[in-house]
Amino acid sequence: MEFLFYMDEVFAPMNFGLLLLGTIGGLILGATPGLSPTMAVALLIPFTFKLEPQQGLILLGAAYTSTVAGGAVSAILLKIPGAPANIATTLDGHAMALKGEGAKALQLSFISSAIGGVFGVLLLIFLTPVLAQWALSFGPSHLFWLAILGVTVIGTLDSSSVVKGLLSGCIGLWLATIGFDDIMGAQRFIFHSSVSGGINVIPALIGLFAIPQVIAMFAKGRQSNDAEVIVVQKHAVSEAFREVIKRKKALTIGTLIGSIIGLIPGVGGQIAGLVAYDQSKKFSSESEKFGTGHSEGVIAAEAANNAMVGPSLVPLLTLSIPGSPTAAVLLGGLLIHGIFPGPDLFINYPKVAWTFIDSMLIGQILMCVFGLYVAGLAASVARVPQSVMAAVVLGLAVFGSYSVQNTMGDVYVMGALGLSMYFLERFGFSAAPLVLGLILGPIAEANFIQGSMIANATVGTGTYFFTGWLNWLLIVIVVASVGYSVWMEVRNRRYTSKEEILS
Amino acid sequence: MKKFIAGAAIALVAMTTSAAAEGHGDFPERPVMLMVSYGAGGATDFQARIVTMTAGNDDALGMPVAIINKPGAGGRVGWNWLATQADADGYTLGAYNVPHFIAQSIKGGVEYSTDSFEPIANWGADPAVFVVGADSDFNSMADVIAYATANPGGLTFSGAGLFVGHHIAALQLEKAAGVKLAYIPNKSGGSGAMRAVIAGEVLGGVNNLSDAFRAREAGTVKILGVFDTARNSFMEDVPTMAEQGYDIDNASVNFRGVMVPKGTPQSVIDHLAATVPAMFENSRVASRMKAGGSPMNIMNRDEVLEMWAARQITLEALLSGL
Amino acid sequence: MSDLPRNQHIIASGVIATIGLTVAYISFTQEPAAAFLFPRLISSVFAVLAIWTFLKAVLGRTKVGNGLSGEAMKNLAPGLIVMVIYVFWAAKGLGFYTATAIAFFILLSLYDPAPHGEIKSWGKRVLITAGFMVVIYGLFAQLLYVFTPREIFF
Repeated sequence: MEFLFYMDEVFAPMNFGLLLLGTIGGLILGATPGLSPTMAVALLIPFTFKLEPQQGLILLGAAYTSTVAGGAVSAILLKIPGAPANIATTLDGHAMALKGEGAKALQLSFISSAIGGVFGVLLLIFLTPVLAQWALSFGPSHLFWLAILGVTVIGTLDSSSVVKGLLSGCIGLWLATIGFDDIMGAQRFIFHSSVSGGINVIPALIGLFAIPQVIAMFAKGRQSNDAEVIVVQKHAVSEAFREVIKRKKALTIGTLIGSIIGLIPGVGGQIAGLVAYDQSKKFSSESEKFGTGHSEGVIAAEAANNAMVGPSLVPLLTLSIPGSPTAAVLLGGLLIHGIFPGPDLFINYPKVAWTFIDSMLIGQILMCVFGLYVAGLAASVARVPQSVMAAVVLGLAVFGSYSVQNTMGDVYVMGALGLSMYFLERFGFSAAPLVLGLILGPIAEANFIQGSMIANATVGTGTYFFTGWLNWLLIVIVVASVGYSVWMEVRNRRYTSKEEILS
Repeated sequence: MKKFIAGAAIALVAMTTSAAAEGHGDFPERPVMLMVSYGAGGATDFQARIVTMTAGNDDALGMPVAIINKPGAGGRVGWNWLATQADADGYTLGAYNVPHFIAQSIKGGVEYSTDSFEPIANWGADPAVFVVGADSDFNSMADVIAYATANPGGLTFSGAGLFVGHHIAALQLEKAAGVKLAYIPNKSGGSGAMRAVIAGEVLGGVNNLSDAFRAREAGTVKILGVFDTARNSFMEDVPTMAEQGYDIDNASVNFRGVMVPKGTPQSVIDHLAATVPAMFENSRVASRMKAGGSPMNIMNRDEVLEMWAARQITLEALLSGL
Repeated sequence: MSDLPRNQHIIASGVIATIGLTVAYISFTQEPAAAFLFPRLISSVFAVLAIWTFLKAVLGRTKVGNGLSGEAMKNLAPGLIVMVIYVFWAAKGLGFYTATAIAFFILLSLYDPAPHGEIKSWGKRVLITAGFMVVIYGLFAQLLYVFTPREIFF
């Protein structure tokens, strides 16, 4: 209960001001396309130089929590996921916005973010030592199986056709191999100088999600004023709370999966949302509604995204190993004040450590309050005429993808992937599995190679990848997941053939 | 708005006067970009952000420096970009890591070499160290080598990648001790390699002195030796490799500094070479670097040119056998 | 299923199958083999699935995807042309801010349903463009120090 002791520190005027600043700033930065939470936090580091250690960390911690949640704003309203974490949010969130339920989608996303986020931070507070062991137990073989598990999610993510889902996933996996391979440094598939550095995930995300939607707006042509303006349904906050409570299965699945996966170094944050989305779809009684603007999709994805924030800091705070890029940036924020994270962090610098954690807890709630307020305003974005919307999204996509690395190559990649994706979508392929392939490919490859190098020097490949309960647990889940996909495909086929007979 | 215009006017006057005083155009007239070929949060990124934090001061560049990360393939992606695609106008700087980029250029498959860049100044030198988990049976390098001799190719140890400082250190150790080791490059760089050591996935590892120092403070590793010519002030108790009987010099020490692509106007290079080392010497920079456990080693342009040339020769000899 | 989507499906899946086979060919012929181990694995699956999809399209058994109607193609063509010129040439060639302002204004004029003969609606378009440019400039140039290519004007 030590954390309660330092709670008043958070509410000191200066600290609370910084917390507000970090939260609001984070929401804005998070909603900016192209700016991932990692970059947002890195941009804020110089501002912390002049602050006290705990003040700097309050700013960074608040920015981290709220950029993750802020990413949902552009994901829902513009269908531009700011970071991989928000991909799953676009699937149902944007569909809801199209139905005029933008306000509701934003409210649901902020409420479930806050619930997931608070749970994650509480885990960080109470279970850090246990979780640290768990985070360490994932070696190359486990990460490899985990990536394979993610790939099997691909097949079921898009319900329309398992084959096309897998094919999209393969295209993504291939795109991920373009550029230098990470370990040997050999060049692969570099057919144009824009891709000589490989395909960066953020510009790819922007292109794959935002551009097809821009072209789809073009395809509708010049519509009359009345037809194109979507009526925004006002949605009471209390209704949103009731909805979240009603969907407690999605909320629970999202929160648990987010917290567990968030711990896993390097993989967690990126796929927590997608895995949670996929699992809650499988366990839902209304799974066919997913993808059409179903509230469970938004709740599960956003609860998972923010639940992962707390646990993702466990390896950093206890073992001094940054488990995610954002944690690495936060480590920088600690180091410039001469504070080394580690098991004795809480003994040597209790004021800094606990104030930081407490501020993340309060930050989650503040983020929710501001988010709900913003939801009211931002939802009117849906009332923006389509012609304006298309031009705004296109402009933001170009600027956003350039700003990631200051390269024209990224803009070309964004444009080319976006154009191709529009046509692919017309023929039944979808962007989400493609992106999942793009993210998981390098993880699967690197861990496979690293694992086999260790295995060759020690026990041999077969033994290395196929012993230990964690390996087997993951393999069993992979097999079950593939089985489920196949079963769905067979059932799907029977269903369509019946339809064919009827027609 | 009035305030903004007034501010802009003052800035403009200040800029023109300072530029006129030094007599080479108005460089820099806008924020300068520093490309770091590793991800945000890595040691190079972190140090680059600290050493450039005073760039906006009048006695430094007078303009802020924005850090751009271009990570990938052990730094190759970023340096290829700097050598071939970056504008050589002085507004695009790059952070270098020696021996990394020199070793990669000797290995081949990249579009740069020491001739593609012009060094400006060096800010830091981070030696490699050999670490083992805190509960490991190894207590000295002799224990490690004894194990490796008994199990040829069976001593797994992690490092940040191939043809980076850690790999060079590994090659030097293999050569000096005359044993075969299993070097496991980690895709997630130094922090991933450290994680593998702490989690017991590998028996040992080569890592940055600064990161290892921190991990030792956290009680998770033991440090058995420094790959440098002298002991380091951060850890006087840890002997060098040479002291333990292995003939290893400082070829793997990770030098970090600033460079520009070849073709940058000489006047701009001169201006940067004159101002940047002074910027690194700022006391605020020094105190932040020290707090973060990052050893500094400020060198001017001439010293860096010499160091690059020396490294080129050592590394060619070391890598010729591969 | 009518012929138009079916032919479109054949073309689309044909392109994918070609890419898949090319990728597989490159993976299995390029050296060093160690670096192409993973590409070989995935390109095999890629090629098989792509051929499967192509055959299904040829047999007319594609279940999902509606293709493009003639009207949709006519509607999107002008916007697509503006977009391609903007992204692949103008952004760099004219400078980001100039190109964005022009592209933004043209797209508004093309797709804004308000009548083209009316002066008031033209004024509105100019205002919206200007507003967007101010936001973009403030966010990227002033706040984030992103130095975008500036060829003419800024």
